[in-house]
Amino acid sequence: MVKVGFYQGCCFQGQDAHMFETMKEMFKRIDVDVVLLEETTCCGGNTIDEENRKLSYAINARNIALAEKEGLDMLVSCNTCYMVIAKAKRALDTNKKLRDEINELLKEEGLEYKGTSKIYHLLDFFRDVVGYEKIKKAVKRPLKGWKVAAYYGCHVLYPKEIAVDNSDNPSSLQEILKALGAEVIDDYEGKDACCGYHSFYTDKSMTLKKLNRILGGVKKVGADIVATPCPLCFKSFDIYQTNMENPPRVPSSFLPEIMAYAFGIDKDKSGLSHHLIKVEKE
Amino acid sequence: METAVLQVFRYDPEKDQAPYYKEYEVPVEGTLLNALLYIKDNLDPTLAFRAFCRSEVCGSCSMKVNGKTKLACKTPMKELVETWKGKPLRIEPLNHMKVIKDLVVDIDKPIEKMKTLIPWLVPDPRVVPTDPMHESIIYPEEMEAYKDQIHCMLCFSCYSACEAVADNERYRGPFAFSKAYRFQVDRRDIETAKEKRIRYAISGGLWSCVQCQKCLYVCPKGVKPAEDIQNLRGQAVKKGFTDKPGAKKLKHFVDWIYATGQINRLYLPEEVYGNKEAREKLTKAYTEMGVEVWEVPKPTKGLMKFRDIYLEILSKEDKALDLDYSHVRKIDKMVSDIFKADICTIVDKAHEEGRSSRGLISKLKGLLGGQ
Ligand code: SF4
Ligand code: SF4
Ligand code: FES
Repeated sequence: MVKVGFYQGCCFQGQDAHMFETMKEMFKRIDVDVVLLEETTCCGGNTIDEENRKLSYAINARNIALAEKEGLDMLVSCNTCYMVIAKAKRALDTNKKLRDEINELLKEEGLEYKGTSKIYHLLDFFRDVVGYEKIKKAVKRPLKGWKVAAYYGCHVLYPKEIAVDNSDNPSSLQEILKALGAEVIDDYEGKDACCGYHSFYTDKSMTLKKLNRILGGVKKVGADIVATPCPLCFKSFDIYQTNMENPPRVPSSFLPEIMAYAFGIDKDKSGLSHHLIKVEKE
Repeated sequence: METAVLQVFRYDPEKDQAPYYKEYEVPVEGTLLNALLYIKDNLDPTLAFRAFCRSEVCGSCSMKVNGKTKLACKTPMKELVETWKGKPLRIEPLNHMKVIKDLVVDIDKPIEKMKTLIPWLVPDPRVVPTDPMHESIIYPEEMEAYKDQIHCMLCFSCYSACEAVADNERYRGPFAFSKAYRFQVDRRDIETAKEKRIRYAISGGLWSCVQCQKCLYVCPKGVKPAEDIQNLRGQAVKKGFTDKPGAKKLKHFVDWIYATGQINRLYLPEEVYGNKEAREKLTKAYTEMGVEVWEVPKPTKGLMKFRDIYLEILSKEDKALDLDYSHVRKIDKMVSDIFKADICTIVDKAHEEGRSSRGLISKLKGLLGGQ
């Protein structure tokens, strides 16, 4: 049993609180014990950086320090949280002055950023810690006949310093989907386009154009569903898609949901039946 | 000798009806630029591409390889072959610019766009001596603020890869914003020019950037346009340009994270777009699905200390007044009205009960006497 600290961000609480239970159950089946790091806060969503970058570093030094206190590595299951936290870690590890200044403040809470915990995203965690073979073995309900379009999202591939896979030609997502027994489609128009999640509240028209590119492309190649390792890309696909003028109504899945389903967890518990755009495929 | 196949985009608008691809077998040796020079010297002298310095300085040899923007003289052939696992390499001109011939594109448009952002120094006479015989000194500490941006060599890699350029014709381009930002943090530049740059940046798409980080990835010079854009957005808000949705989103993040440790997606549509119905609609949709609605995030353990750290950093950066305290008080009241307890009590209770997140909010309400 591997134990890892789970960073929840905003995507595993509130209306999405049930998602953590799904994660926990899904991870149990591949011998991973995910420990919720309860005292962590929002990573700032790459938006606090607009206000002040040091504030973003401090918030995330605190988040990482909470994992270090437990002596655990940290698993971040959102592309943006991962990018923001990994960037902060790089800044803290390479700039002693910054680290000292922030540690001085963390002291008040009895915390210290040491740089001892590794930061994982789902993709590299599945590849390097769990292994594709183990995933394959946990499958109880192979996704036979499911044509799944693989969509990575940006913040696991760019910038280079924090990328979890080859940024130009990544393969981890395809490998995981293949292990689930799905037929993977990784070449379609819009596969590299941004999901538009982050511009929904800065320039909405941009979001809708991006969705049109990606989901239009997914529809064209005849995929049943698009799967992404990012809960924000997923929200863009499932929720913001309904804001489109002529939504193509392409179903989508956050990767752990479809994994849970393939591991034999039912549609309701896996989260797949909670989508605005129904996942009809069985 | 190991070789690779390049499928090179060919197009001469004066002769060809449409672009086509021509295959060349090249040695896997040196850089992509070496391979192109090999073609030109040995296989086909008609191929047109730009290159000059061969050492990542002039910025002229940027192009696409299998859709990904690369600087030819910086990209080893070996790396390309490894990345694409022996697949043919499709070499194409940059995006978003007119093709002049083959891999040569017309860069006038991005240059014109950049000029609209005043990418030059407008000297402040109180700082810069008007007498040309007097030195205008910049200290090394001052240069820290723009030491990366000055290395931009106008290669347009970022412009080609940019998600915002792809879907907003007016968008000035990552490099253009970095050029502008470079003068925004120059002490010698006059305040009125800084104000103007922000105004022009906003009309040039400052809030359209999707923060994909592709510009950071492709820049051969370590410029970080996406981060400069974040800084410019911060400046815009600070200068009072607060009417744009993006500015309101930022305020939501700054206030809610301070108050609760989290953002609140239920309230974002209302606080950014004034859309009150969205919250009701979402609440209804979630209730129908049998999902518990959290009107406010679960207050994090250690919240009070977290607030201290947050405020301390803002104060140190001279930004403590950016927090909207009346908004924070409103959030506090909202939280205590829901739970019928003050925030400190809730934080403690939430932690005691926090093991399972299912039904947490109603459990807490029950415990604390809320509705
Ligand atoms: S982060 Fe913004 S500026 Fe950079 S490439 Fe993406 S959209 Fe363009
Ligand atoms: S910012 Fe970097 S990628 Fe963009 S034009 Fe300048 S040097 Fe090229
Ligand atoms: S030839 Fe000058 S940058 Fe490549």
